[in-house]
Amino acid sequence: MDMLPEDYSLPKQTHDIFAIMARGNFISSNGTRDGMNRLYDIINNPENFDRLQAYFNVIRYNIERGNNYFYFSKLSEPNSELEKKLERFERYIDIIDLLASMDNKITIGSRFRPTEIAEECNANVRLKQKLQKIPLYRSETLHNKVREICDLMSRDSYLELEDEKTESYKVLDSYTYLLDVINSIAIYEDTTGGSDDAQGLIYN
Amino acid sequence: MTQNCRILNRIVEINISNVKYTDIELSGNTCFVGTNNFGKTSLQRAILFFYSANSRGLGISPSQKTFEEHYFRYENSYIVYEIATEEKNFFVIVYRHNKIVFRFVDAPYDPDFFFTQNDEAMKIKEIVANFEKRGIYISNQIDTFERYRNIIYGTETDKVLSKFHLLKGNEKYQNIPKSITNVFLSSKSSIDSRFIKDFIANSLTTENSSIKLEQVERQLRQFNEKYSDIEVYLKKETQQLIEFIDKKYDQVHMLKGSQMEMADKLGSSLRFAESQNEAIREAAKKKEEELETLATEHEALKTSIEDKQNNIREEIGYYDRTIRDAKKKLKEYKEKNIDEAVEKNAEREKLQVDLNIARREYESLTSNVASIEIKYSSLIEQLRNDKSAYVNKVNSKTSEVFNHYNELQLLQKNEYNKRDAELKDKREEALNEVSNEATHKQIEFNELKSEEKVIRNTRFYENEIKNLENELAELRAVSYKNKSERAIKQNMVSTLQREWESLEQRLKASLNNRINQTNNEIIKIKTEIKDIEEKLNVQHDAFYGFLEKNVKNWHESIGKVVNEKLLFRTDLTPELKKEAADSLYGISLNLEPVEVVSKSIEQYQFDKNERLALIRDLEESMNQFQTSNNEEKMIAADKYGKQLGELKEDVKVLSYSLELADKREKKLSEEFEDWKLRAGKEIEESLSGNRQRLNIIEEELNILNKKKNTVISEFTTQFEKLKAYNDERLSELKQRQETEISELEVEKKNQVKEFENKEEELAKEKESNFKSKGVDSKQLKNVEKRMNELLDLLKEIEQYSQIVSDYMKDKREVFDKLPDLIQKKEEFVKSNNDLGVQLEESTRKYNMKRMELNKQKRTFDEELIEFNNGINFYSNNFRDTPVYAKYSDIIERAEPKRTNYNILDLCTQLLKNDSHFNEEYGAFQRFVNEFAGKYRIDNHFNFIIRNDATQGEYERFAQNLRSFINENKIELSIAETATQIGLVTDSIATKVKELSGQKDKIQHIIQLIAEDFKKAEFEESKLIEFIKIRLEESDNKVYKLLKKIQEFREENGLVYNEGLFNTDFATGQKREISGKAVKLLEQLRNAIKEQEQEEIRLQDLFELKFNIKEGMNETGWTHKIDSIGSTGTDILVKAIIYITLLHVFIKESSHRSSKDFKVHCIIDEVGQISAHYLRELLRFAKNRNIMMINGLPNKSGLESHYKYTYQFRREENNNVRIFPSIVTEVEA
Repeated sequence: MDMLPEDYSLPKQTHDIFAIMARGNFISSNGTRDGMNRLYDIINNPENFDRLQAYFNVIRYNIERGNNYFYFSKLSEPNSELEKKLERFERYIDIIDLLASMDNKITIGSRFRPTEIAEECNANVRLKQKLQKIPLYRSETLHNKVREICDLMSRDSYLELEDEKTESYKVLDSYTYLLDVINSIAIYEDTTGGSDDAQGLIYN
Repeated sequence: MTQNCRILNRIVEINISNVKYTDIELSGNTCFVGTNNFGKTSLQRAILFFYSANSRGLGISPSQKTFEEHYFRYENSYIVYEIATEEKNFFVIVYRHNKIVFRFVDAPYDPDFFFTQNDEAMKIKEIVANFEKRGIYISNQIDTFERYRNIIYGTETDKVLSKFHLLKGNEKYQNIPKSITNVFLSSKSSIDSRFIKDFIANSLTTENSSIKLEQVERQLRQFNEKYSDIEVYLKKETQQLIEFIDKKYDQVHMLKGSQMEMADKLGSSLRFAESQNEAIREAAKKKEEELETLATEHEALKTSIEDKQNNIREEIGYYDRTIRDAKKKLKEYKEKNIDEAVEKNAEREKLQVDLNIARREYESLTSNVASIEIKYSSLIEQLRNDKSAYVNKVNSKTSEVFNHYNELQLLQKNEYNKRDAELKDKREEALNEVSNEATHKQIEFNELKSEEKVIRNTRFYENEIKNLENELAELRAVSYKNKSERAIKQNMVSTLQREWESLEQRLKASLNNRINQTNNEIIKIKTEIKDIEEKLNVQHDAFYGFLEKNVKNWHESIGKVVNEKLLFRTDLTPELKKEAADSLYGISLNLEPVEVVSKSIEQYQFDKNERLALIRDLEESMNQFQTSNNEEKMIAADKYGKQLGELKEDVKVLSYSLELADKREKKLSEEFEDWKLRAGKEIEESLSGNRQRLNIIEEELNILNKKKNTVISEFTTQFEKLKAYNDERLSELKQRQETEISELEVEKKNQVKEFENKEEELAKEKESNFKSKGVDSKQLKNVEKRMNELLDLLKEIEQYSQIVSDYMKDKREVFDKLPDLIQKKEEFVKSNNDLGVQLEESTRKYNMKRMELNKQKRTFDEELIEFNNGINFYSNNFRDTPVYAKYSDIIERAEPKRTNYNILDLCTQLLKNDSHFNEEYGAFQRFVNEFAGKYRIDNHFNFIIRNDATQGEYERFAQNLRSFINENKIELSIAETATQIGLVTDSIATKVKELSGQKDKIQHIIQLIAEDFKKAEFEESKLIEFIKIRLEESDNKVYKLLKKIQEFREENGLVYNEGLFNTDFATGQKREISGKAVKLLEQLRNAIKEQEQEEIRLQDLFELKFNIKEGMNETGWTHKIDSIGSTGTDILVKAIIYITLLHVFIKESSHRSSKDFKVHCIIDEVGQISAHYLRELLRFAKNRNIMMINGLPNKSGLESHYKYTYQFRREENNNVRIFPSIVTEVEA
């Protein structure tokens, strides 16, 4: 039986919250686009939280609380979905490695422009190599590559394009989630398999 | 031509645009016929300009030339408007004198005024001069459109000019030109109620009376942004972050400080090591040299002692050999029975004597007895001689022995003396040596003693300790000063805080008082207004209404005597009775001197308006009061906040420096104690070394004393032994002397007796021989035998004589000296032993000294190695690190100073600390980033940090954040934001009120229009049955919200900004109200965004609907009138509506007394209207004193309905010629 938001005396932004989180995106407290911080405050309100949780549980979603961010997890998620998720994180390994190696560390709340990162990569061979080896991107210039990365991260709601004119991005609270996941992925080399390139992932 | 009413009679264009001259009459309906672009509209605009006198409101598009430029191209371009009046026509000249100006001329228009005889238009100067010459009044130049309009619309106060009016307008006369303009400008658009709305609204309002939504949106955005900034700031997580930042900043700051201190120490140590390196190297070298000298000296001593020992050993060997040889010889003598031989040898003399005697006896016996006498006498004589010879010999032997022994004794004595002296010398030498050593040691001992005293008095590390003491004293003094300063500042902080709080309290109280007072006054006034409104509401049905309707000038009569309450009672059912008129219940009163007490409706209205104004004033003053209160609050916050912030920052800095000073004091005290301990230890060490040496020396002294005693006792023994030996030798010698002498005496005595016996015997024999004279053979034989025996004995003795002689020589030379030799050997052995001991002792001393020197050298070497290791580590592993680069300034500038730490440790610690510092700094940066990231990029707190910000910028961020907190800037921001919300809502409320205040006017106008529609005589043609109009509530979302905000403001007054962000329970109610206000404003902002409307104008406040019935078609209540019928019908209806509007506005806006005037309604395109309709329309207009000016594209017969028809033709030189068409007015 379908439950309507009204049955739970849910906040009127419930639909907006669902629309964001059901896409696999996060709601971070420091996000400002489309009133994200307001949505965060709404979920963070204990009364609302319980109601929303109960409501979303009916449709097999669970609200997960991170450090200043929320996201959905699916109750009884099939393994294939999990694998897909892991694959999604796999490509972030190199990205995070690059971002963590910058002189000016990218941390929660940092504001930066792709040009700044591209410039630093251009000036530092190590960083340049790191950037160049990031797969999936066909852009030719470093700047475009960084832009694609930023774009990807914005789509996955780890970054927010704060100012389109200056192309300034802000690192959202959900970035912690990404770091946590990447940190808990153990990479091992398959020495028995014969192929040196074979890499596997273990999700802790 | 004069008319019986005032009207714009004629327009004359002289050199206007491309019209050289035209004179057009306008005193009736006028029609312009001409194809497009021939100048119809231009002419119509020129006519419109007469009414509007506003060169910008003529519908000229911005891409076209301005009115001034297009119309007045030449110096002698003129437009002349002639106005017909009841008496005499006058005209207005419009020309350009930089800008457009006007002159009124009190005469009918005559082209001669403007043209020369050559038909050239004159310049204005000439024209004016011409008028003056002719004595015709011409006004001064009217420079402003406003003044011109005042004159034309009859509100000019200058009496000379006031006669040049078209009509007498009231205060709303501006609506007339506006209406005429609006009709002209909108004649082409379709008929939409919105246009009518715009028409009415535009006619009623000025340009400024709209609510500019962009402005509101900006205010709302600003407010909203500030609000959300504050919200973010007040969040728990943000506050936590602030705390983290503050803490981390302190940590980072402190770490940096300690790193800098360490860097300074490193620099000092490095400089010190560099400066001390040479000195230590020198000292080590000196020690080495000392060691070498010591070794050389020791070697020399050793060699000399060993040489001496070798000599002594040789001596010993010699004595050893001599003694051994002597003993061997003695043994050999003994084996040869030397003692017996010596004894026998001693009897040799006696045997010799016996032999001699025997021989003479024998001779005498054999010499025949002759001379017995002689014989015996010679025999006796011989014997006597022998005896004396023997005695002499013995005596000489005795003296020889005596002398020999005496000599031996003397020799012994000499030897003794010599040995004694030698021993004494030796003893002296030994004693001297010991004494010297002892003295030396004593001196050393004394030196050590005095050194101990010096050590006890010496303050080790005096400089360091003194420096530390000074530093500590300074530090304590500064700390004391800082503490007292902090106490003072804390005091000041609490005083200021109290002052601030009390001021805030006072401000709050005064605001509250003022609010209460104002609210009370407003409530009171509102009650009064309500009273008045009630009166106004009921007046129609009350006694008042009755009087108004039925009794003329009742104010002068009943109004003077009736109670006001009675006037507004509805239950009095008044009736008009003729008989009682002018009397009070039949009594007539002279009310002349009585004052009127009743008030007219206008007066009530006025009272109400007055009170409303009063409320507005009150609110305004309240607003001002609040603003100034807020300002005062802000000033106070600024003043106190800044002071408090500074003081708090000072206190924090002082606390921090005190904390640092405390730590430093502790550290310095520790260092001080350490140095003191080290000094004590050094003293102890020095003292213990000293004492050890003292003990050694003391012991050595004891040993030396003992040695001295031993030497003395040894020498005493030696002396004694020597003396004993000497005595023994002497006594032995004496004894042997005496024995030998006594033996010799005994022998001598025996011999002498023997001699005497022999003498006696001889004497007896001689007597017997004398008696017997013969010789006895037996006797001879005896003598011979005896002689042979003696010879044998002597022969035997002779056999041993050589060995005895050798023995005696050896005895004399060797055997007797043997004890001496032994003694001497022993002495040498002893000397040798002494030398061995001496060597051993000096070697021991040498070793000790060497060890000590080695130890000292090692200390220097170790120090040097430590320095070098440190410097090496510094240059190989530290100099190239970023840590060095970070602190290079401090390291390079440090003063050389000995520190408690070695360079290596300092480098390692600095490197280690730096990685710790980097960790902490990373955390600090992360907190700052996270904190700044919580805000919008352009937040009004300016909490922004670039991604590539330097450490300094991060630190400044933290400092600014700290002063933000200290100065309590958030309160200021909240106050500002609260004021802003107050101001925003207030400005919205005022604007909405102002705008909606005009709604009454609209209601009034609509009512008039509706009535006018009713009056329209449409029945005649039955074309249009009715046109109805009505007002409805606006469905504009933005306006509705604006209205809501205004109502909210009315309801809650000015107080709600108090509760913004206030979590205080007591003011919770206010917070709720504030929350509602914030929500409303947010909704408004969203609605403005969604609606994309630039402004809310009067027309947005209501909806206008028409219902029109034309023939069988009824439109029903609708906004748009586009489906009434044909285009012609639409134009007709539109024109009717316009004319109605114009009529209503003119009526509304002109003075009641001014009735005899006509105005023009300019509608350009009426080409599609049917002749029938046109006729209807013109009549409709005429009935309302309105003349039509219309445009037609071509002649179609319609022009026959107009009084004047003008045609437009373009000539070859592109000029336009306008000429009247000859038609006859069919009907007007």
